[in-house]
Amino acid sequence: MNNRLANDRRAMPLPATIAEAIALEMERDPSILCIGEDIGRAGGVFGTTRGLLDRFGRDRVVDAPIAEMAFSGMAVGLAQAGMRPLVEIMFVDFIGVCLEQVYNAAAKIPYMSGGRQRMPIVFKTAGGCIGSAAQHSQCLWGLFAHLPGIKVVAPCNPHDHKGLMAEALRSDDPVVFIEHKDLLLRKGKDFRHHPEVPDEAYTVPMGKAAVVRPGTDVTLATLSLSVEHALEAAETVAAEGISVEVIDLRSIVPLDTDTVARSAASTGRLLVVDEDYLSFGLSAELTLRVIERLGLTGLRQVERLAVPDVPIPAALSLEKAVLPGPDKIAQRLRQMAGGR
Amino acid sequence: MIRANAEGNSGEPVTHARFRRMARMRAFDEACLDALRRGVIHGELHVGLGQEAVAAGMAESLRPEDAVVSSHRNHFHALAKGVDARALLAEICERETGLCRGRGGHMHPFDPATNFSATGIVGASLPVALGYAHAFGMQGGDAVAIGVTGDGGSHTGGFHESMVMAGARRLPLVALVENNALAISVPFSEISPTATVAERSSAYGALGLHVDGTDVDAVARVFAQAMDHARAGRGPVIVEATCHRFRGHFEGDPEGYRPREERRRLREQFDPLTLYRARLEAAGESPDVLDGILAAEKSGMKTLLAEVLEDEMPDPAGALDHVFTDNAGRPA
Ligand SMILES: Cc1ncc(C[n+]2csc(CCOP(=O)(O)OP(=O)(O)O)c2C)c(N)n1
Repeated sequence: MNNRLANDRRAMPLPATIAEAIALEMERDPSILCIGEDIGRAGGVFGTTRGLLDRFGRDRVVDAPIAEMAFSGMAVGLAQAGMRPLVEIMFVDFIGVCLEQVYNAAAKIPYMSGGRQRMPIVFKTAGGCIGSAAQHSQCLWGLFAHLPGIKVVAPCNPHDHKGLMAEALRSDDPVVFIEHKDLLLRKGKDFRHHPEVPDEAYTVPMGKAAVVRPGTDVTLATLSLSVEHALEAAETVAAEGISVEVIDLRSIVPLDTDTVARSAASTGRLLVVDEDYLSFGLSAELTLRVIERLGLTGLRQVERLAVPDVPIPAALSLEKAVLPGPDKIAQRLRQMAGGR
Repeated sequence: MIRANAEGNSGEPVTHARFRRMARMRAFDEACLDALRRGVIHGELHVGLGQEAVAAGMAESLRPEDAVVSSHRNHFHALAKGVDARALLAEICERETGLCRGRGGHMHPFDPATNFSATGIVGASLPVALGYAHAFGMQGGDAVAIGVTGDGGSHTGGFHESMVMAGARRLPLVALVENNALAISVPFSEISPTATVAERSSAYGALGLHVDGTDVDAVARVFAQAMDHARAGRGPVIVEATCHRFRGHFEGDPEGYRPREERRRLREQFDPLTLYRARLEAAGESPDVLDGILAAEKSGMKTLLAEVLEDEMPDPAGALDHVFTDNAGRPA
C-alpha cells in the first residue's frame, strides 16, 4: 500500500471499511442483497452501508419498514430461493422481536433438512455499551452461541471487520455478525491493533483466534471492544512487571479453544473478559473448555470478568460499575499475577 | 367556557390551559437540550419538538386511572399523563432522584403511580397497552389504555397483533399514532401500503380517526371522541395525528435524508404553538397573556433543571440493586 492510501485508511471511519467489504462481495456475487432499516438512503445509522444503494439499486439494498419479524423471515425465504441476504438488525437488542425467525428457522432448517437446505444469511447488528441504557447496550453473543446452528462473529479491528464480513457473506451457514458501537464510532487511527486494511477483497477465517500481544504471566482471552481494553490494561500492568498474553477470539462460534488452551498451558493463568452477561455465557464456556483440555490441575488460576447479571443501567456512574473496563481488567490482572 | 383539568392552572380557560401545556412541553424538551449541551445527557436523546399539540390535546381526556404506554419519544406523553416533571427530568439526567433512580434513563421512564411507562423498542408499546386494556376490562370501571407509537411503529408485528386481540375482544385500547412522516430516514409515504394508518382500523374492527396533529383544538376534540368510544366499551380506536419532527431523529442525527431548508420550512409553517397563538390572537386574545404563559413555563423549567443538576448521580455501590425484589440470584 502506498503512503497516501495508508493515510486515508487512518482517517477512514470503521463503518466505511465495513461498507467497502460488503460492496466488494456484492460486486463479486449478484445473489447478495441487503435488507434493513435506514440502510439505503441514510446508509445505515452508523454508515456501514453508505453508498450501497447508489451502486446496487433498490432491489439489492432494501430500506425496510420497522418490521424485523417480516424481513428476518424474508431472509430465510430469500436463502431458500437461492439468494444470499444480509439482514441488518440495527441494534442487537432488537433481535427480540424476530428471534423466532433467527433461531427457529435460519438456525434449524439446515439441520432439519438433513443438510439439504443451506442458509447463507448474515445477520449484521451492532451491540455493546456506549451509555445507552438497558435496551440499547447488550452484546448477546452468548445468547446466539447457545442456540445451535448459528455462527457468531464479533471483530475488534478494521482488518478483521473487512475480512470477517467477506467470510460471513461467503459462508453457507447463518452468521450473526456483531459490531461494537464504540468501535463503529472510531477511525482507523483510533485502533490499538491491526488498523491497516488491504484494498482488495480478502477473508479472515471464523474460528481462528489471534494472539494480539504475547506474554508469559497471564493469558487474557476476550473479543470485540474488550480487546482494546485488554491491550490498554496489559500495557498498564506491563509497566509493573506483569506480562500478559492477550488473545482476540474473533468468533464465539466456532470457538478457538486450541489457541487459548495452548497459551494458558504456558502461562498457567487464564482470565476471560466478556462485555456480555457473566452467567451461562462465553466466560464459563471457554474456561471449562480449557479445563477440559488441560485437566483440573492444568491451570494455577482461572478468573472471569463480565457484566454481573444486571441489565445495563442508564447512569454512566452505574454503567462503569458493571462493565469490565480497562481499570477493572488491570486490577484483576494484578490480583492474579500478584502471587507469582 | 370549559375549565381545564389537571396540568393547566386551576380555573384558567381551556385555551390558556392548552397553550400552557404546549409551552410546558416545549420548555421541558428545551431544558433537555440545554442539559445535553452541558454534557449532562449523553446517548441518543429523542425530543418531541414540533409534536406538542398531540400530547397536549391528549392530556385533557386522560384520567388518573387510564394508562399510557409510550415510545422512545416519550417526554410529552409522560407530562400529559401527569408524571412529575422534576422526577422525569432528573431521570433523563440520570440522577438518583430520578423517576427510576437513574437506572432507566430518557428512553425508559416507568411511573406506576400514574400508570405511565415507555419502551425503547419500536412497536413494543402496543402489546403492553393491550395488557392494561385487558386488565381494565376484567377490573370493571371504564379506564382506557393508550399505546403511543410513531408511524414507523405502526408497521410492526406487535402493533398488528395487539390490534387484532383488542378488536376481537373489544378492549378499551387507543392506539395513538404520531405520524411525523419519518421513521428515522424512511418516509412513511414510501413504506406504507396505505395512505394513512387510520384506514387500517377497519381490518381490526376498530374505529379509525385521523387528525391534524399540529392543531391542539382538533387533537383534543378527536382524542376525546376516541376515549369516549373506548370508555363506552365499543372497542379499540386508532387515532392518527399527523405532525412534524423539528429536530433530527435523535440529537446528533446528521439528517442526511432531508435538506436543512425543509426543516426550516416545517418549523415556519407547522409550529403548533405559533399556529395556536395566531388562532387565539385572531379571536381577541392578548399577546401579553400568551407571552406571560410562555415566559412562566420557560423560567419554571429553567429552575427545575438548575435544581436537578444539583442532584447526586447514583452511587456505583448500588449498581446491582433492583434486579430482583430480594436481590437474590446475584453472581457470587
Ligand atoms: C424493534 C426496533 N427496531 C428498530 C429500532 C430503532 N429505531 C428507533 S426509533 C426508530 C424509528 C421510529 O420511527 P417512528 O415509529 O415513526 O417514531 P419517531 O421516531 O418518528 O417518533 C427506529 C428504527 C428500535 N428501537 N426498535
